[in-house]
Amino acid sequence: MRKYWFIFSLYWQEGLQQRSSFFVDRFRSFVVLISFYYLWTALLRGRSSFAGYDHSQMITYILGMSILRGLVFASRTYEIAGEINHGRLSGYLLKPVNFFVYTFFRDLSEKSINLVSAIIEVIVLTCLFHLDIRWPRDPSTWALFLLAIVGATVLYFLLSFMVGCWGFWTAESGGPRFLFELTLEFSAGAFFPLDVLPKGLQHALQMMPSPYLVFFPLHVFLERLSPSQLINGFAAQLFWIGALSGITYWIWQKGLSFYGAEGS
Amino acid sequence: MRYLRIWYRLALNSYGVQASSPLSSFGYLLGKLVRITFFLVFLSAIFKHTSALAGYSLEEAALFFLTFNLVDILAQLFFRGIYGIRSMIREGDFDYFLIQPVNILYRVSFNMIDFLDVVTVIPVFVITYYVLRHIPGGINGHRLLLYILLTLNGLLIAFAIHIVVASFAVLTQEMENTIWIYRDLMTLGRFPADIYDAPMRGILTFVIPIAVMTSFPAKAYLGKLGSGWIWHAFFVSTISIILSLWFWGFSTRRYTSVSS
Repeated sequence: MRKYWFIFSLYWQEGLQQRSSFFVDRFRSFVVLISFYYLWTALLRGRSSFAGYDHSQMITYILGMSILRGLVFASRTYEIAGEINHGRLSGYLLKPVNFFVYTFFRDLSEKSINLVSAIIEVIVLTCLFHLDIRWPRDPSTWALFLLAIVGATVLYFLLSFMVGCWGFWTAESGGPRFLFELTLEFSAGAFFPLDVLPKGLQHALQMMPSPYLVFFPLHVFLERLSPSQLINGFAAQLFWIGALSGITYWIWQKGLSFYGAEGS
Repeated sequence: MRYLRIWYRLALNSYGVQASSPLSSFGYLLGKLVRITFFLVFLSAIFKHTSALAGYSLEEAALFFLTFNLVDILAQLFFRGIYGIRSMIREGDFDYFLIQPVNILYRVSFNMIDFLDVVTVIPVFVITYYVLRHIPGGINGHRLLLYILLTLNGLLIAFAIHIVVASFAVLTQEMENTIWIYRDLMTLGRFPADIYDAPMRGILTFVIPIAVMTSFPAKAYLGKLGSGWIWHAFFVSTISIILSLWFWGFSTRRYTSVSS
């Protein structure tokens, strides 16, 4: 396990070295936070609630959304397709490391940097605008929230690793990945709470894994779920993790048998 | 005429590059369309819970969003070349362009024409036309002309910002990410500028004129922009272009070649 923590540390240092890219990424996140803060504030002006969210719940959702975007969606799995296309994957296959675990720890370093930064941004915004955050009333909510974000992180990793594996079959995975990430962010509730959408669309989205990335953990935090909804949510998250683990492993094995190590 | 031929040739080259990776291009194209669709769905969903956003109806709020898209997409379509300025400098292409008998700013700006945006902008035009028809009063010739002029004015300001970004790249051979900061700031123009509080609105009107680029055309069409602000918009674009061209001249005069 030590070697993976070493990989984590190496990528942490690399992440902090590429400062301009890091700041631009964080700036993007901050602009999204600012624009949605103002949008919801404008919508809540002169009324006590909007779509079932009172002011503090909506503000908490927006701030939590920013933190979860930094944690869940921060990833370096986009590099996998390039590593396959340019034959660099061969180097990893020859090393005494499990590529799957290797990429997970590489992702963790990216996530941890972004998480720290996102928390700082949220604190700055909270102090600047004197925001009223709705903290959980029941201490056990913190444990459930932690569990939900661990599930969300694993779920996103599986999805994005699977998309990275497209590199085995095509050198043109950039466009499909762009489409995948956009669709996922919107359907995860990473821009707005999904229960703002029409009921039919909400039900359709519930059939997908994406709501369990941001929307579900934030609903856990806001204590908007009944015990049965909590159980169903965690069961769905677990189901998707299990199903996607199997599918991703199958795609990875298929891809490896197809891999010609071109470019290495 | 010669410059039109050059543009046509560069456009053909760009088309060749994008057509050589059809799957990737298709993914990007679909992604751009999906993003616009999602935001329109989101806007319409918001209006299921309220009748107004900062005093604007659904059609009016959609007009702001579509105007933002028009300026953003057209800027990407025409000035995409600026995005690659740093690699042009690093790989020596910039030096090669300098000895070509063509204006260097023109050559750099139109080096890449994003055909995916040609396809993306068509549905945006169609939806904008649909929305304009559904705004009370329908399509009004005088206001439409003002809307088009102010949208083109917004595009001119976007061009000035692109020139400043290119100038910084020539001057420092760095700042590769500056253009993305501009793109991120542009997203603040997705919604009517009236949703922001006074200090933020002031910044978006006078410091980084995103509101002038995206909100002013829509407000003018809705008859909610005073003539003083219309003159302000044209003043901002004129000053921006003059200053950016001066800065471009300043930067290129100090360029001493780095790679060829």
